[in-house]
Amino acid sequence: MILESWYILTAMILLFIGIYGIVVKRNAIKVVIGLEILTAGVHLNFIALGATAQSADPLAESIVIVSILIGACLATVALMFVIQAYRRYGTINLRKLRKLRW
Amino acid sequence: MEISPILQPLAVLLISAVLLPVIDALGKAVKFEKIREIFAVAGFIAVFYTIFNLYQAVMSAENHILQLSISGFGPPFGVSFVVDSLSVFMAFIFCGLGLLVAIFSIRYMEKDSGLGKYYSLLFTMVAGMVGVVFTGDFFNLFIFWETLCISSYVLVGFRIRQWAPIEAGFKYLVMSTLGSLLVLYAMSLLYGLTGTLNFASIAVLMQTSPATPITLYFILGLIVVGFGISAAIVPFHTWLPDAHPAAPSPISAMLSGVVIKAGIYAIIRILTIVLYPSSIDWTIVILVLAVFAALSMTVGNLMALLQNDIKRLLAFSSVAQMGYIVLAVSVGLFGGAIGLYGLSSGMLHILNHAIMKGLLFLCAGAFIHAVGTRNLADLTGIAHRMRVTGVIFTVGVLAISGVPPLNGFISELMILLATVNAGMVLFAGIMLANVLLGFAYYLRMLYITVWQPPKENLSGVKEAPLTMLIPMVILMLLCIIIGIWPAPFLNFAFHAAEATLNIAGYIGMV
Repeated sequence: MILESWYILTAMILLFIGIYGIVVKRNAIKVVIGLEILTAGVHLNFIALGATAQSADPLAESIVIVSILIGACLATVALMFVIQAYRRYGTINLRKLRKLRW
Repeated sequence: MEISPILQPLAVLLISAVLLPVIDALGKAVKFEKIREIFAVAGFIAVFYTIFNLYQAVMSAENHILQLSISGFGPPFGVSFVVDSLSVFMAFIFCGLGLLVAIFSIRYMEKDSGLGKYYSLLFTMVAGMVGVVFTGDFFNLFIFWETLCISSYVLVGFRIRQWAPIEAGFKYLVMSTLGSLLVLYAMSLLYGLTGTLNFASIAVLMQTSPATPITLYFILGLIVVGFGISAAIVPFHTWLPDAHPAAPSPISAMLSGVVIKAGIYAIIRILTIVLYPSSIDWTIVILVLAVFAALSMTVGNLMALLQNDIKRLLAFSSVAQMGYIVLAVSVGLFGGAIGLYGLSSGMLHILNHAIMKGLLFLCAGAFIHAVGTRNLADLTGIAHRMRVTGVIFTVGVLAISGVPPLNGFISELMILLATVNAGMVLFAGIMLANVLLGFAYYLRMLYITVWQPPKENLSGVKEAPLTMLIPMVILMLLCIIIGIWPAPFLNFAFHAAEATLNIAGYIGMV
């Protein structure tokens, strides 16, 4: 039980690191990395809440596996946007893109 | 093998999405490229037919709820679909607008390349939305939600050679993904509390849950914020006014008409079924939601006043209209007769707003297709050059501003009455002020496009082609019919609201 709460705490820290990356960082790649860290935190939380010392709940594992697949699609689409922005502007600094108001 | 009526719409949508690129390639090989458009429209008609079948099946079922578990496991474990009147009501709106948008796209998108992918993504987008409203557990909800979101991101960025879709698409992606991850986190917390992801099972376990109120409020907040980003509730709306103008006009109509409604559906469903039995103090939640609603309508209307871009103006008007819907939902949380009336008014406004905003975005698309600019000043007097579209546009603007014989008036009046019924007179006053404020920019838009003499840059502009006029005329007729004879639609909305508040029936069925 003690071990489990460590995992949940770590998940929450990862969550905050991810949100920090998304909100504060200027670099588009770092924003995408922030999203990935956030995803990792949520997955860790699912696994920690689904596991006991002896066994793991297949429900939690299956939703995490599906979510990893979805995360791959999301990263592809996000990086597609970043590449197009770089080709067009020569920069991936979000503040320098012309009309992107956060 | 007989496919369950619940899975038929999803099966048709997903199979069409997979087949479209193949059909597209075949069409290119035999030099008959229009076949993909014909296939897309036929696919949506087939989906509409399957949903009509499902409607009849739901109406004849016990308690008006149909339930299906896949893979042989019982409800708490297996993948579960639950369809009631609310689901069918929303699915009708999604597929109806999808069909009209597919017809509109035939001519609007003809100069773009990669149309096989465009229609394929349109199908997966509608499949995501239909899946979201049919699902009975969080697992499915998450999968279909992401299907919807990823298709929307790519469709917003469809014209990737221009600057606006790149920037708006990336912004939409980051904000909306943040929202869905917050929802996933809330799901993991609910899973930790109850050990299941099924809506009904969680609701049963919530009645005796030892969870502290702080945890419950935290989960509720995560869900409202997460789906609120997609539903464009005000502090989280900033992606919307960028993404809607950047997308191709038919996709703007989809985004504004139905995608943000999927977000509000998820909020309604989770608040009324999953969390309602828990020990949360609902008066606080109602108050907070009503404050969000008041913020949405005020900010949306004030920002819309300042816009010079016709699609950006319509996008901000969507934010304001979502405010009305959220106000109706917050009244709905009172439960009982007051809540039932509030939710029915909200449901009717969801239907009406999908029709009106779909119509306005399609009209704006017809203008943009003819002139090639979104700037209101360059569209001065365009209705004189495109008379049919001008008449349709006028009806749409009058409907959304709430002029009596049209549909917007009825649902806005009902929301006002519901709010007064619930004793929230202050919020009713704010809404009334906002409806009047809305008149200012709707009339300004009409004044510029209809009443002014046409500018010389519009001399070569021709009327919109027939396939673009057909969906607009259908939506205009719906505006007028719902305005004059609202009874059947109101009845349908009432059934949907009744199903939403029928928590015991929902839990008992699953």
